[in-house]
Amino acid sequence: MYVYLYDNFLRHKKYDSIIKSVEVRLTDYGIAGKILRLNNFIDPKQVIDDEIKRGAKTVVIVGNDATFGYVLSRAATCDCTFGFLPIGISNTISEVLGIPTGVEACDILSKRRKESLDVGWMNNRYFISQLHVLPAKLKVVYDERFAVTANEKMEVVVCNLQPFYWKKDKKDKAEQVIHPQDGKLEAFLRPLTKQGWWGYKYEDPSVFPFEEMEIVSDSPFTVEADGKVSKEIKVKIKLAHGKIDMIVGRNRKF
Amino acid sequence: MIFQKSTHKNVIEEDMPESEAPVGTERVDEVETIVGPSVNVEGDFASEGNIIVKGTVSGSVHTSRFLSVELGAKIMANVRAGTAKISGEVKGNLKIRETIELTSTAKVLGDIEARVLSVEPGALLFGKVSMPGIEGAETKNLKPRTSRRGEETVEVGE
Repeated sequence: MYVYLYDNFLRHKKYDSIIKSVEVRLTDYGIAGKILRLNNFIDPKQVIDDEIKRGAKTVVIVGNDATFGYVLSRAATCDCTFGFLPIGISNTISEVLGIPTGVEACDILSKRRKESLDVGWMNNRYFISQLHVLPAKLKVVYDERFAVTANEKMEVVVCNLQPFYWKKDKKDKAEQVIHPQDGKLEAFLRPLTKQGWWGYKYEDPSVFPFEEMEIVSDSPFTVEADGKVSKEIKVKIKLAHGKIDMIVGRNRKF
Repeated sequence: MIFQKSTHKNVIEEDMPESEAPVGTERVDEVETIVGPSVNVEGDFASEGNIIVKGTVSGSVHTSRFLSVELGAKIMANVRAGTAKISGEVKGNLKIRETIELTSTAKVLGDIEARVLSVEPGALLFGKVSMPGIEGAETKNLKPRTSRRGEETVEVGE
């Protein structure tokens, strides 16, 4: 049995036509199922666990990168297969998974090509797409072997599935992309150097693939993982191999 | 006959020196670890893939593949790598499996051990260079010396 988790933004009128055509295509394939709408007060893990008890075998996330991260970071331990129907803008994870945006995603879903995905583990919770540490005076220790520091503040982005987009500065029009690899987490470190009296300038990023790392600082720093923001002094990040069974496309990037 | 042919072909492939492999193609495609400028790395810095250093590294550096030390980079460590291209400063011994290239801006203070060494005019090098191909010649030179010494000791004993 299939269960579909719709993001709240899909209530908007402009998505009506695409939602209708997706539902028609799913009915054609015979994979239509129960539809549940997410909102801020619903815990996805509890909802999915209840549906699994009722006999659900596949849970399909309908929305964008934020929906994907929000659901899977909380429900990574659920014993079911996950699917993804990307709709709307800001869908970068779907590219990595080889799932096209819109109605064509139903074709991928019907083919049921399954892969185990790695999940990032941060202190006591999972993250799927990206972990972002805002600029602060940090020390990063990799696999307990070597430490990385910067002279001034440093920004850290840890990518699991979501590619890392960056610009040299605000004026730079060409956005640069680094795609994450499978089997490892990628950490992008961007040190800031002082420019003028008040300003800071971003340096070129350093890239370190790793399986375990620790970010330490003397003062609390802000960590943002899949839309959840917290203040930490010490963050331990690990990779949990093959935690999620996911339906992926043929053109996936791993 | 068919089997003989195929084994012969395999032997040729195995005998091909690794240095003939197109190193340049690896360099561009598989960049894995980048140490950016104004970043300091301390400790045993090891990676399975290619390493590009633009900042400062102290401790030890180890990779089985390509290492590039860019202009302005500083390495104060013993280095072990598959192939290397040095344009920055290195203080420590370099043990390279295949080829090491010192560009005109390179500054190396330490011993180099490599199969192939190329030095551009302008590169600074202070240290001992040893290449595995010449080891046989060294041992040949040493053998007669030891025998002479042996003879001498005998004479002293008499």
